[in-house]
Amino acid sequence: MSQQAMTLAQKETQHVSETVRIWRMFRRNRLAVLGLIVATLICLVAIFAPVIAPYDYAEQNMRNTVSPPSSANWLGTDQWGRDILSRIIVGSRVSLSVGIVSVAILIIIGVAIGAIAGYNRHLDGPLMRFVDIMMSIPGFFLLLTIVALFGPSLLNTMLVIGLTSWMGTARLVRGQFLSLREKEFVEAARSVGVPDWRVITHHLLPNTMAVIIVQATLFMSQAILIESSLSYLGLGAQPPTPSWGGMLFQGRDYMRQAPWGTLFPGLAIFVTVMAFNLLGDGLRDALDPHLRGR
Amino acid sequence: MMRYIVRRLLIMIPLLLGLSLFVFVLIRLAPGDPTVFYLPPERAADPAIRLRVMTRLGLDQPLHIQYIRWLTSALQGDFGYAYGYGESVLKLIADHVPATVQLQLAALILALVVALPIGIISATRQYSLLDNSVTVFAFFGLSMPNFWFALMLMLLFAVRWDVLPAVGAGIGKPFLERIPYFVMPVVVLAFTYMAVYVRFMRSSMLENIRKDYVTTARAKGLRERSVLFGHALKNAILPVITIVGMSIPRLIGGSIIIESVFAWPGIGRLGYDAVLRRDYPTIMGLTILTAAFVMFVNLAVDILYSYADPRIVYTDKE
Repeated sequence: MSQQAMTLAQKETQHVSETVRIWRMFRRNRLAVLGLIVATLICLVAIFAPVIAPYDYAEQNMRNTVSPPSSANWLGTDQWGRDILSRIIVGSRVSLSVGIVSVAILIIIGVAIGAIAGYNRHLDGPLMRFVDIMMSIPGFFLLLTIVALFGPSLLNTMLVIGLTSWMGTARLVRGQFLSLREKEFVEAARSVGVPDWRVITHHLLPNTMAVIIVQATLFMSQAILIESSLSYLGLGAQPPTPSWGGMLFQGRDYMRQAPWGTLFPGLAIFVTVMAFNLLGDGLRDALDPHLRGR
Repeated sequence: MMRYIVRRLLIMIPLLLGLSLFVFVLIRLAPGDPTVFYLPPERAADPAIRLRVMTRLGLDQPLHIQYIRWLTSALQGDFGYAYGYGESVLKLIADHVPATVQLQLAALILALVVALPIGIISATRQYSLLDNSVTVFAFFGLSMPNFWFALMLMLLFAVRWDVLPAVGAGIGKPFLERIPYFVMPVVVLAFTYMAVYVRFMRSSMLENIRKDYVTTARAKGLRERSVLFGHALKNAILPVITIVGMSIPRLIGGSIIIESVFAWPGIGRLGYDAVLRRDYPTIMGLTILTAAFVMFVNLAVDILYSYADPRIVYTDKE
């Protein structure tokens, strides 16, 4: 076997053993495994929602309004006779898509700004002052202002959550870059003439991935909570799109007659957020042992 | 230290200017205008009337002129008049601050009183039944949508058992009669705070009780209470100060959603109404004043840090 082939084989083994180590570490945390299972189930429910939902989520039945849970409607019906279980199942698509898109936006912006600030000393100051400005605005108020002024819709909700939540990630990535750029392997890469963009993409970013993955998973739950809060205030996904927060908003007026209208959508939010929190916490422990128990 | 404080105060000026420009441009870029909310529907439909109102409010001017006018007035302490209220923004904010401060302060105190001792005990009995329960409780607190928790409490205590008022702050009533109004919103807000504080207190305490200086203190024959409170807690409290400091801006910023659920007449609800009515002066006033407060609190927390940990010394280079 040539020396190059051996090095490749060693690298492969090292990579596999690192993945196995992380998985073993993750598996030891039972709550995190539970989080992973529940989060996977919720994702599957969202993907196959139209097949799983027993009724059309928008189908109204005025002869069967605010009826309690029964064999026909497992979680009861709302004030327009719509099946709550079907709406919760389809609503999972709203929550998860908001979570995924807004997390993608915040990670792209946060990583880009954090990486530039952490790598380029000249841009560090101005970029961090901009981060300071953004962080001094009361987050939810800014979010509410933008959504209300530019019109409530699912797309605006996703964009706004992502555009107003990247600051923490930027700071975190900057911190990682600041400490990594002084390390010998980075200096070695620079000294052999590796261009800056390649140092960032091939040396610094891969070493920051653990922090980014944890941040993304933990923010997923935050994004779902924010979306449901906005929908509860009537500023999220607009009817007839079923969102869990919107269902709570509509069910509130009928809380006395039909408590199931607020109980079950809230439980859905709670379980989903809990699953992603547990998963994120487990990933953090497995990927970054220094942060364990925080 | 003095130079550091002065420098931080000076940095606030460009930060607040940048923020005001950012928010000003942002809210004016939004389609539509506030006259739709300012005028009764039958008059809002008339373009001539709307134009007159726009002129009166100065909204027909170019954006940079509007901003300079707003800034000139704001620098003199005049944040303009809130649309539809007929009151100055500052007075409106001042009227709403007490309700928010009372609510948030009560929640913060309740959370600290419960969370800190539990966090400490939990750390000293790691993996005990109590510790595991605390961990589960913290996850519950962090994952539960607070407005849903509020609705569930309302359903039980106001709708079903009718023992607590569902909404309002009981303003104008004697102190003792106001207490029932506080119970549900305070519990809901404190629940989330508690989950965060208990987690930080526990992990920070755990980290410290494993350190060499704690072992040394024990080896010297000090009593456990003295080791925990005299040595470990002093260092463990630092991250908790930061986290509590991060909650303090809410003292005046309020919680938009909880104040909306309980119809609490505070800053959060004022902000929500202002946004829905496109009340530009109130949105600007609230943003700038809250941001200034956040910056002052951050500075105060940093100063407090140096008292809590004498190793932290600020120089004007930082």
